[in-house]
Amino acid sequence: MTDHSLPASADIRLEGVSKSFDGKVKAVDDVSLAIAPGEFFSLLGPSGCGKTTSLRMIAGFEAPDAGRIRVGGADITDVPVHKRDMGMVFQSYALFPHRTVAENVAFGLRMRSLPREEIRRRVAAALKQVALDGYEDRRPGQLSGGQQQRVALARAIVIRPPVLLCDEPLGALDRKLRQSMQFELKQLQKELGVTLVFVTHDQEEALAMSDRIAVMNAGRVEQVGAPAEIYDRPRTRFVADFIGEINLFDGTWDGGRFIAGDGRSLPATMNGARPGAGAVAVRPEKARIVAPGEGAVAGRIESANFLGGQVLYRIAASGDRHMLAKETNMGAAARPVGTEVGLLWNEADAVVLEG
Amino acid sequence: MASLADALPATRLTPRPRRPAVSPIAWLVGPALLLFVIFFVLPFAVMAVLSLLSGNPAQNPNVYLTSRHYVRFAGDDLYWDALWSTLRIGIVTTLASLLVGYPLAHWMARMKSRLGHALLLMAVIAPMLTGIVVRTFAWMTILQDKGVINTTLIGLGLIEKPLPLMYNEFGTVVALVHIYVPFMVLTLTGVIGRIDERLEQAARNLGASRLRAFAEVTLPLSLPGIFAGSLLVFALSISAYVTPFLMGGTNVLTLPMLIYQQVSSSFNLGFAGALGVILLAVSLLVVIAYNHVLARFSGPEGLT
Repeated sequence: MTDHSLPASADIRLEGVSKSFDGKVKAVDDVSLAIAPGEFFSLLGPSGCGKTTSLRMIAGFEAPDAGRIRVGGADITDVPVHKRDMGMVFQSYALFPHRTVAENVAFGLRMRSLPREEIRRRVAAALKQVALDGYEDRRPGQLSGGQQQRVALARAIVIRPPVLLCDEPLGALDRKLRQSMQFELKQLQKELGVTLVFVTHDQEEALAMSDRIAVMNAGRVEQVGAPAEIYDRPRTRFVADFIGEINLFDGTWDGGRFIAGDGRSLPATMNGARPGAGAVAVRPEKARIVAPGEGAVAGRIESANFLGGQVLYRIAASGDRHMLAKETNMGAAARPVGTEVGLLWNEADAVVLEG
Repeated sequence: MASLADALPATRLTPRPRRPAVSPIAWLVGPALLLFVIFFVLPFAVMAVLSLLSGNPAQNPNVYLTSRHYVRFAGDDLYWDALWSTLRIGIVTTLASLLVGYPLAHWMARMKSRLGHALLLMAVIAPMLTGIVVRTFAWMTILQDKGVINTTLIGLGLIEKPLPLMYNEFGTVVALVHIYVPFMVLTLTGVIGRIDERLEQAARNLGASRLRAFAEVTLPLSLPGIFAGSLLVFALSISAYVTPFLMGGTNVLTLPMLIYQQVSSSFNLGFAGALGVILLAVSLLVVIAYNHVLARFSGPEGLT
């Protein structure tokens, strides 16, 4: 089935794809995505946002109610799972417990009826690629979580799929291991040149690894863009709120100026926003702490969280609202709790939200 | 887990050396162990001893050791036929229960709807609430010469003489399968339900068709359930008495029927004991052989 003429990677297109379960809530609602060949593409969102369902539709485990899915130009919407030729790494790895590591990795090749010698050679190469040579005869139960993760990865890439699907593959690993696996997975993906679709609810992971991210919410795609774009220029309130911490202000656009709910004018440029009700957002690290009278917003430091490289201040402002500001830890002592301060930011750092 | 680990060193600090090293939970096994000894080990030992004695020591003190009950068995084809017939009924019933029960168990185990699962479970268990005799009589009204099937077929003109559906091993097996298939289904459902569905999905993603994924993943992982279920059904059907008696009529003679005869009409407890020992020994051999066959399919860790 797999012939070697297949390209190393293929583009994926979702065209107006919808899926609902039990005819009720739409798990995926009219999603259209264009994923480039060789791209590391993340589907990011909270649980229940439709990211896993989208991935499972690409893999073929779920059939869309509407819309088409194309891979490498071919419409695969009605192609059964086992003929889609995609690698997949499952959340819990889904290794076959009754088979050895080598047998697990060989499975896809065996299904393709390759000659024994070639299977042996490719299994050895794949295990070497994930630094697990020497573990051929172990069983999955005898491996650590990180090693199982590598076996799952080897099993998926050994068939040389043009598309690799990963469903929260690092979710079960501890933080340290996770970070090193993030680097390794990304490097492996670039080496293989494979198109990788990565499902995660962890925004840091998505920002760190992806070429592009699609942020999903309630079955819809909120925004697609490069990590920096998603972080610095979130388009919607949901994206701004979901990715990292942010200070949100509701108010109105009036003659090119943004007037917050309490009547104060805040630094922001309209940037094509419609006049009338609107919202702007400021990242904590873009907000500078200044003397009480000099800020756009005044408040009192309520708590200071030492994060190591940075200090995160929670500031109680007027009207019962709280603001966050982050300062780089330059060695000086943290500002004492209770200090009256002001907050200021550059006009360009205020993100204009669509609503 | 964490709280347990934290608690461990504390208990080590205050050891109670005089306490015997028996976990208090082990005492809970007591009642079951007692029942097992009183109602299985003891009677079986008595039976095994009787099978080697010339008579009943309770009635006649001048008994001596003898192998004549076993010699009698070995020397008569009737008894070999009964043994073989018992095993055949047991094996065919087990395999048929497996064929009928596996798909049902798989369906139940993979069912998403809780209501559907509960209804199916009820359908599987409900027949067990009626007695074996009742169910066997029900099969008699269906399978006998003037039963539902034969009168219907004759009425339709499809056959002229009634099909021999009962008073033979066929009828016996049909009724036994119906009676014992719930044991197979319940055992298998538990085992299949614990197999992660994603394993099959992973296999399909790697290029296996549904059938291939089942054969490569789910089937080998459910072998422990197949073994346990088969063991239950086999043990129950080789020791069945009522159903072979009613469904087999005079054409079927199994060891339990023979044993009953020896006890109730011939009063030959020694020979009955010998038959019991032989039945147990032979069925143990069958079970061990079956275990070996299954283990071959599943590899070293497939069966526990």
